[in-house]
Order: sequence, then C-alpha cells, then structure tokens
Amino acid sequence: MFKKILIANRGEIACRVIKTARRMGIKTVAVYSEADKDARHVELADEAVLIGPAPSRESYLVQDRIIEACRQTGAEAVHPGYGFLSENAEFSRRVEEAGIVFIGPKHASIGAMGDKIASKALAAKAGVSTIPGWNDAIETPERAVEIAKDIGYPVMIKASAGGGGKGLRVAWNDKEAFEGFSSCRNEARNSFGDDRVFIEKFVEEPRHIEIQVLGDAHGNCVYLWERECSIQRRHQKVIEEAPSPFLDDKVRKAMGEQAVALAKAVDYQSAGTVEFVVGKDKSFFFLEMNTRLQVEHPVTECITGLDLVEQMIRVAAGEKLAFKQKDIKREGWAIECRINAEDPFRNFLPSTGRLVKYRPPAQNMEASQPVPPGGGVRVDTGVYEGGEIPMHYDSMIAKLIVHGRDRNEAIARMREALNGFVIRGISSNVPFQAALLAHPRFTAGDFNTGFIAEQYPKGFSTTSVAHDQPSFLLALAAVSHRRSRERAATLTGQRRHREVRIREDLVVVLTDAAGLRDHIPISVRPQGSMFEVSIAGLTHEVAFEDNLRDIAVHGTFDGQPFCAQIERSGLGYRISHNGASLFARVFSPRHAELEALMPFKAPPDLSKVLLSPMPGLLVDVAVQVGQTVRAGEKLAAIEAMKMENILFATQDCVVSEVLAGKGDSLAVDQVIMRFQ
Amino acid sequence: MHDIIQQLDKKRAQARQGGGPKRIAAQHAKGKLTARERIELLLDEGSFEEWDMFVEHRCSDFGMQDQKIPGDGVVTGCGFINGRLVFVYSQDFTVFGGSLSEAHAQKICKIMDTAMKVGAPVIGINDSGGARIQEGVASLGGYAEVFQRNVTASGVVPQVSIIMGPSAGGAVYSPALTDFIFMVKDSSYMFVTGPEVVKTVTHEEVSAEDLGGAITHTTRSGVADLAFDNDVEALLMIRRFFNYLPANNREKPPMREAGDPADRDDYSLDTLVPDNPNKPYDMKELLVKVVDDGEFFELQPEYAKNIIIGFARMDGHVVGIVANQPLVLAGCLDIKSSIKAARFVRFCDAFSIPVVTFVDVPGFMPGTSQEYGGIIKHGAKLLYAYAECTVPKITVITRKAYGGAYDVMASKHLRGDVNFAWPNAEIAVMGAKGAVEIIFREEKGDPAKLAAREAEYKEKFANPFIAGARGYIDDVIMPHGTRRRVCRALTVLRDKKIEEPWRKHGNIPL
Repeated sequence: MFKKILIANRGEIACRVIKTARRMGIKTVAVYSEADKDARHVELADEAVLIGPAPSRESYLVQDRIIEACRQTGAEAVHPGYGFLSENAEFSRRVEEAGIVFIGPKHASIGAMGDKIASKALAAKAGVSTIPGWNDAIETPERAVEIAKDIGYPVMIKASAGGGGKGLRVAWNDKEAFEGFSSCRNEARNSFGDDRVFIEKFVEEPRHIEIQVLGDAHGNCVYLWERECSIQRRHQKVIEEAPSPFLDDKVRKAMGEQAVALAKAVDYQSAGTVEFVVGKDKSFFFLEMNTRLQVEHPVTECITGLDLVEQMIRVAAGEKLAFKQKDIKREGWAIECRINAEDPFRNFLPSTGRLVKYRPPAQNMEASQPVPPGGGVRVDTGVYEGGEIPMHYDSMIAKLIVHGRDRNEAIARMREALNGFVIRGISSNVPFQAALLAHPRFTAGDFNTGFIAEQYPKGFSTTSVAHDQPSFLLALAAVSHRRSRERAATLTGQRRHREVRIREDLVVVLTDAAGLRDHIPISVRPQGSMFEVSIAGLTHEVAFEDNLRDIAVHGTFDGQPFCAQIERSGLGYRISHNGASLFARVFSPRHAELEALMPFKAPPDLSKVLLSPMPGLLVDVAVQVGQTVRAGEKLAAIEAMKMENILFATQDCVVSEVLAGKGDSLAVDQVIMRFQ
Repeated sequence: MHDIIQQLDKKRAQARQGGGPKRIAAQHAKGKLTARERIELLLDEGSFEEWDMFVEHRCSDFGMQDQKIPGDGVVTGCGFINGRLVFVYSQDFTVFGGSLSEAHAQKICKIMDTAMKVGAPVIGINDSGGARIQEGVASLGGYAEVFQRNVTASGVVPQVSIIMGPSAGGAVYSPALTDFIFMVKDSSYMFVTGPEVVKTVTHEEVSAEDLGGAITHTTRSGVADLAFDNDVEALLMIRRFFNYLPANNREKPPMREAGDPADRDDYSLDTLVPDNPNKPYDMKELLVKVVDDGEFFELQPEYAKNIIIGFARMDGHVVGIVANQPLVLAGCLDIKSSIKAARFVRFCDAFSIPVVTFVDVPGFMPGTSQEYGGIIKHGAKLLYAYAECTVPKITVITRKAYGGAYDVMASKHLRGDVNFAWPNAEIAVMGAKGAVEIIFREEKGDPAKLAAREAEYKEKFANPFIAGARGYIDDVIMPHGTRRRVCRALTVLRDKKIEEPWRKHGNIPL
C-alpha cells in the first residue's frame, strides 16, 4: 500500500479523500492555489504545496505543478478527485510516466471514453444499448434533416465535445432540425473548438440514471447499483439518490451487466460511472461514461457500505477486489442534496464572499466510516464558518447526504437536515432544496430531468412553497414572541406591582406584498416546560430547546420533533421550515388594532436603478450616460465564480448615471447605474 | 356630589376625545396615531397615570376664550416600560394643532420636575404645529421653561425625544437638547426654518421632507438617531431601546438574564480580518458575534457610517459600543464620525454605561474640507469625551491603530482600563509605507532599498508587541476569545470609581 498520496483537487472532495487516506494510514499531500491558502483541505492534509495563483488554469489545471508537487513531497500516487484533471488522459499518462500511480483508470480507458461519438461506438460494440442515432459527424444541415427524419422526431442535436448543457438542441420537425444543427455547430465551434455534431433519438420523459462500476487490474469488475440523478437544473445535478425509485430489479440487472460489459471492454481499473438515459417505458440507452469518482458517490457508499475512495486506492495499489457481484449489498435508501453558493431567489446567480454563519445539521455518518445501523446524516464539505467562498471555482460548498431504511425515511431525514442547515453571509440553495424535498411529485418519485424547469418555469420565490401546516409556522412566531417577553421579564429595576405581565392572547399579523394584512388571533399559555398554543380553535403543544440567539431551533410540536429556522428582525420573526418561509409580526390585540391604522409603504421602486445581483467583478459596462436602451439590451457584465453574468435592461430606459466602472469590485445590491 | 362626579366624567370624556372624531380621523388618514394611542403603545398595558387632564389655556385673545379643550394639546403623566418607571408627554395634534401654550408648557415642565425628583427618564412625543401664536410671548416663555429643564436634567435622567409630526422653529430645540431623537419616515420633520422661509430668503426650493424629514436627519445632518417606518414600529422599538437606559445617573442600567454564555468562543472571528491590510471587512459581524444573543441596538446607522455606535448587553449588563467601520472610508475618523462617537461616549459616561471600543483606524481623514471644517476641534471632541470618561473602558484593537487616532480611540493613555489587541494588530504612527518614506527620505530614489526598509518597519511595528512591551496594551487576545475576555474585564471593572478634581465643568471644544 502507498505511504503517501497527493490529492490534486480542492474543496469537499479533497477533504473527503484525505479522510479515507488517513483511516488507511496513508499520509496525504494537499495542493492549493493562493485563494485557498486557508482552505479546509490544506489544514486537514499532512502536507500542503502551493501550486499557483487563484485561477484554476494557473493552479489546479497545471499538470507540471502537480507532478512537481508529487516529486517534492515524495507522494507515490495522485488522486484527482472530480473535475479539474480527473478525466484528462494526458495527465494520467504523464503521471504514470513520472513513475507516480494515478488513482483512477488507465489513460487508455479515459481516452476511449473521453469522446462522445467514439465512446458510443465502443459501447454499441460491447453490447450496450445505445440510443438510435447517427454516430458520425454530420456535415450539412440538409444531411442533418435527413438523418433526423430516419431516426424519427423528436431528435436531439448534440455537440461531440459538449457538456454541462452547452451545445444541445431538441428538434421536433425538419425546420427545427435544420436550424438547431446550424446553431449547435456554431456554438460547438466557439465554445469547444470542435464543431462535430451528431443527432440521436430524443427520449421522452427521460430520467438520468447511472450505474457505478468498479474494476481492478486483475480482470474483475462489478457494478454497485444505480444512482437516480434526474433532478437537474440546466443539466446540473441537484439531488441524487440510490436506489432509483423507478427501476425494477430486471432493468437494474440489465443496466448493471451492460455497464460492466462496457467497463471490461475498456479494461477499466477503478471506480467509474456509466450514465444512461431511461425513457418512460423503462427503455434505457447509454449516454456516456465518467471515468472518475462522481460528486454523488456517497449515496452509493451508503447503500453498499463500501468506501469508494478506499476501493480506488486499493485497486490503484494493485489489490484485487475483495468481493464478487453477489456480495454487493443494497441496503436502505440514500439521498444527496448539493448545497450550492447561489441565490435561488435571484435566478440561482452565484454568491461569493464570507461565510458569516455556517452551521451544518448534526451528523452521525462520516465519509470513510461505516454507515450506522438505521442510517443517518452526513455532510461532505470543504468550508467552515468564517471561511471564504472564492469566486474562482465552482459554487458547491457542501453535500448533504442522508441514509434511511426506505425512501420515505430518507426524505423525512433530509427535510429535517435541510431545516437545520444554517448558511448566512452568502446565499445558498438550501430553501430551494427544501422546497424540492417537499414537492409531492418528488416524494412520489414521479419526475424526470425536466422536473425543475417544468415546476419552476418562472424561477423560485418564497411564495413557491406552501407549508402543509401553516399553523405550525404561526405557532413558532407566537412562541418566539412569548420567549422574548419572558426574557424582558427578567429585567432588573422593575417596580413592585408593576412588573412585566405577559399576555397570553396575541395576534399574529402577516402582510402580503400589496400591504394587505391578515390578523390571526393566537393564544400562548405556558404549560410546564411547554407552551400550549391555540390557533383557530385547535390547541398545539410546542416546546423549544435552543436559546434566542440560535437560528436553527429544535423542539417538539404536538410531540413531534422539529427543526426550524427563526430570525428576529425588527418587530417580526422570519420563520423557515420545509422550504416555506414566513415573516410574521406578533402583537397584543390592541397593538394589532393600532398597527392596522399604519399606512403600507411599498418597497422602493427598483426599476430606476441597476443593482449588482451578486458580489463580483464588473468586467463590462455596455452603455453610456444619456444612451437610450431597449428592453433586453445588455447593460453590464459581472464576473463571479468563473461565470460571466450579463445584466440586461428589463424595460426601455435612458441611462442617467453610471456609478461603477469596469474593473470595480461590486458588493451585492450595489448601484451600478441609474435610469431616468 | 353626584353632580360633581358627573361633571368629572364629562370632563374626562372630553379630554379623552382630544380634538374630536373628525380630527382624529384626519390624524389617522395621515398615517399618524393620536397622542393617547401612542402612549398606549409606548407604555405597559394599563400603566399610564395621567396628570393635568383638566388643564386649560388662559388665553383670552383672538376668540381663544371660547375654545378650550381639557388637556390643552398635550397628554402628560407617568407609566412603566417593562415594569420600569418613565415620565411621558405626548403632544396632541388634534387639539390646536398640538401648539404649545403657556399651560401646555407648564404640563410638560411638571412631569419633568417630578422625573428629576424621583430620578426617572423622560420621553417626549412631539407632534406640534409650534408656538400658540395667539399667546405670543407667553408661548415662547413656555418653550424656554422646557429648554431650561432639558438642560438641568441633562446627565441626570435620560431624555428621549420622538418626533411624530411637525417640529419647527423654536420647538426643535427641546428635542435637540435631549439625549436621543427618533423620527418616523414620511410623517415627521424638524427644521429651524421651513421650506417657505427658505424659499424667500435663499431662493432654494425644497420640500419639508427633504429639508427636515427622517431620512434627511438620519443620513445627512445626523440630528436624529433612527428613522422608523411608522408610529407603531417606532414606539415598540423604543420600548426595546428603553431597556438599555438606567433610571438616572446614580443607578446602573438594568440587567437582564442572558441565555448566552459569557465564555462563548467564536472561532469564525479568527478569520474576520483579511490578510491584506487594505482589504475591508464588516466590523458589525464582530459586534453581533460578541454581544449577548447577537442583539446590537445600533444608533445613527446611516450617518457617518465610518464609525458604529450603539447599545448591547454582555453577560447581561448594558454596554455602549463604539467601533471603527473599515467598510466605510477605511474606518477613518472625520468630523462627522468624531462628533457622532463623542456624544455617545459622553452619554455612556453620564449614565454609568461601560464603553467597549473596537479599533481599526488608519488615522484622521486628510483634506481641505476636513481642515476647513475644523477637524482639529471636532476630532478633539472625541478625544475629550474619552479622556474625561470615568466609566469602565475596554478597548480591543482588531487591526490598525495608527497615529493620533490610536490615541483618541480609548487608548491606555486616556485611562483605558483594559486594552486588548488581536495578534495581527498594528499599533504605529502610520502605515509602513508612509513611515519609511519619511524616515528614509534620502533613499527615495531606490525602490529596492525602500521596500526592504518597509519590510523592516512592518516587522517592527505591524504587531502588538511594541505597544505590549510598554504596557499600552494589557494582553494580546485571540479573536475567538473576545467575548470571553471582554465579559471578564467588565466583571472586574464593575465597581470602578475615579475621583475627579473639583471643577464647575470642563470646557469641551464645542
């Protein structure tokens, strides 16, 4: 076994690999860019090597630096994680040539699966079900239309080198096929420098289901069941689970065996993933093979009890797999939510900056450790409270993984875990994840890859989610008020007979966006260590455990444990639970009556200003003072997290003032320009 | 007897009606509450004791003898806020436009006099058209009687003004003499001369809101401490604010049980200050993380944002917090921020509230506008305030403490009781670059040499040890332990006493 390995990655995956290596008694070397010098993976590793400036093309993607770091530290092997150099055949080859072991497949296997068209041909030859389509590059749009007709509409037009949703079109007729082909080819040429485009059958209500395979250098290969990854936003996975709620054992076995056949065909010696698209009739077709550890590998670890990183290291060290296909367990149900630094209420724009608060939910499972009986909660992350989310890398800050005995238990556990996940300072998609977990179609397992786009066509807003028990949120607001009154009652200096008297009858006031108020009478009575809360004739028992400064509050509601987030702001409380969120103000009945006399003040008109939707670098101001701009025209561009975000005019307007210049660092909500 | 009681009931009913249903409806239509409704919100339920309900004006000119309403446009008395005694007056705009008559002023004076005798704070709710013109000089005299009491009470009992309608001309000076002024957006304004006069004299066209509204006074002039959205928000938030005030200058501010452990560490603070000394960070994150329950009652948050002031509790005890804000003007001291902080420090000193100061200050703001504006005198106000202050003073230097601003910000030399520094603190005359350019002027042409000198200077001064060696700081503390150490220091200093030499009063550079 190796004595020391280097992890050529950052963030949660670097931390996760280090944990397994440490358990196996292997020393670890981290590499880091200047932006990551205080990162968690650097602290966790036994040694760390600086490999360059913040941009990944000058650090994490520089092969020479990483090979040099191995030499310098005497690391015998490199684990590439995912992303960066993990599927770079050249890197794998160069590492091997330098006499260092690449903890992953051989470079030939990576190369064979790296090209979409070539890999498809290879798969077909290995007996893997491939999608009907034209597997050669197509020359002209006319030819594309012919091919599309042969396959039968709908068809999908794809760039060979495409990925992440880029270079992809669906055509339902000849006209769309003609246009789609041309635009797809242009995009492919511009984005990837490779204009090969192919066409295939478009699968209706497609699910994305992938098979985890594991092969060794001794000709053994097994499959570790499937992962359901259909919950995607713009082709980025959002929630993954194992097993899939859709597959039956017959299809599962067929997919697994085909995946193994493909892995064997390329002499695959590591952990890898064969992705399939599965139609509503359970027909499945090969999509591509990912020759690396996947982000979502923990769900497989939960149900199989295997440590995939450990298996990768053992295989790379030349060990034989210690189990056969029949030995592979499939126990319980696991779900993973990707927690991203992005603002779901602002069209998922990336969010960067300081993690003022980062409190993950309580965990009882850990990467590299055995799964506890009955399952639990695991958080894989590379961040910490007070840490920085740099703008140079991807936006994922943590993976929240739960394991339960069945799908319902896993869902319940995930909902509770999300309720307890506190992230402040930057925006996160936790509210969106909570909303997805509360969606009846998700809980029913009835979804496909179009789910998010269909269910949230206009994006996500706080009103997107209705709580299944609104009185629960109201009760929490009323009890929070009660608790702050109880705290006031401890003030010194009170006069005898005039001490704080705490009212039991209260009114919770909810105000909608138009200023309409809803008055809900609630009474709160202490009952031992609990509160008896009456709303609309129903009485609930509520108990709180945490003190007033905690955002995540644990307690029981009618005997059922809950976790919710409560933040006091001015006269009100923002209560968030299961994706729903409510701002409630609590008054005595008389105060509520007086409050009803107060005029509603609408929030300021923001149509006359352009605000920066996120912190970032202003890379372009496309207009000048006095210029007339039409709705939809570009106003400015901001770069954050590798992404250039273009800000468009939402209406026709005239620029009256430009307050920020190219190269400025912008704060969120900073005014960039004003309009007349 | 029966007759008398009937008459009494009638008078009471009349007084409670104020200007009558029509005027009350007009008041509500403006988004304003009546004088009595306001008192209801401010005080504990049912705790208001009204005095002088039957007072009427004594004016007999211009037909006023026929218009008498019991109470005469102001409701006065006492009550309790969370069980603690307070005296209150609330001007009634529905009665003679809330205008101040001689009798009206006498009512205010009476509760102020009693507040002084018993040692209780005074809260005034202002909603008045101004002087009762029909009364002429008697009304002006009334104002001055109030002013005198404001001044006499200053530093003896806390005085709070809430502006909930017009306050113009001489009327502004009573609030101006009190300790805190709160306003309501869109329905209150304060100015010495109104838009009409301004237009006649200076030809400036300006609305009442722009000239003296809540936004103007909380962002531009610094006259007011906070602007609230409406009457209800203002009054209920001021109830919370009142919990930080002591009853008078001989009592300590009220304690409240803290569910928040005094020895709570917060490791995220260890990464608060960026490595790059020119990169800003949000000082408010530190404040919120070290105080009890994360509750910091900030005052003047939109004015002179380069300094932060406000109240909080630590280990249950009230503290006044002053902190430089590196996010704004790099936390420099300038005219506005010096005045803002100086007045706050003096309030804390007058009312036995320990002052906790967080320092990250690169110096005083340079420039002609500052010098012509008299930064010398205004900066000296803050220096004076800290130097004369005898309540417990605890100082934490989080990063820069440069030059004269180091001295000013509650340094050891100004009788700081416990002065801490974080390990990355830089206590020096100025930044390394500027310093070497002066010390090694002759090496100016040699950037390499200068860089070496800069590094040398940095190594020598960009740390807290030089100051530590001289005892200018008492300890270097880890950021995560700040709450624990400050709470402990407060415990030690709780009964601090300093005897000052006799004098009539000092002469602060006004």
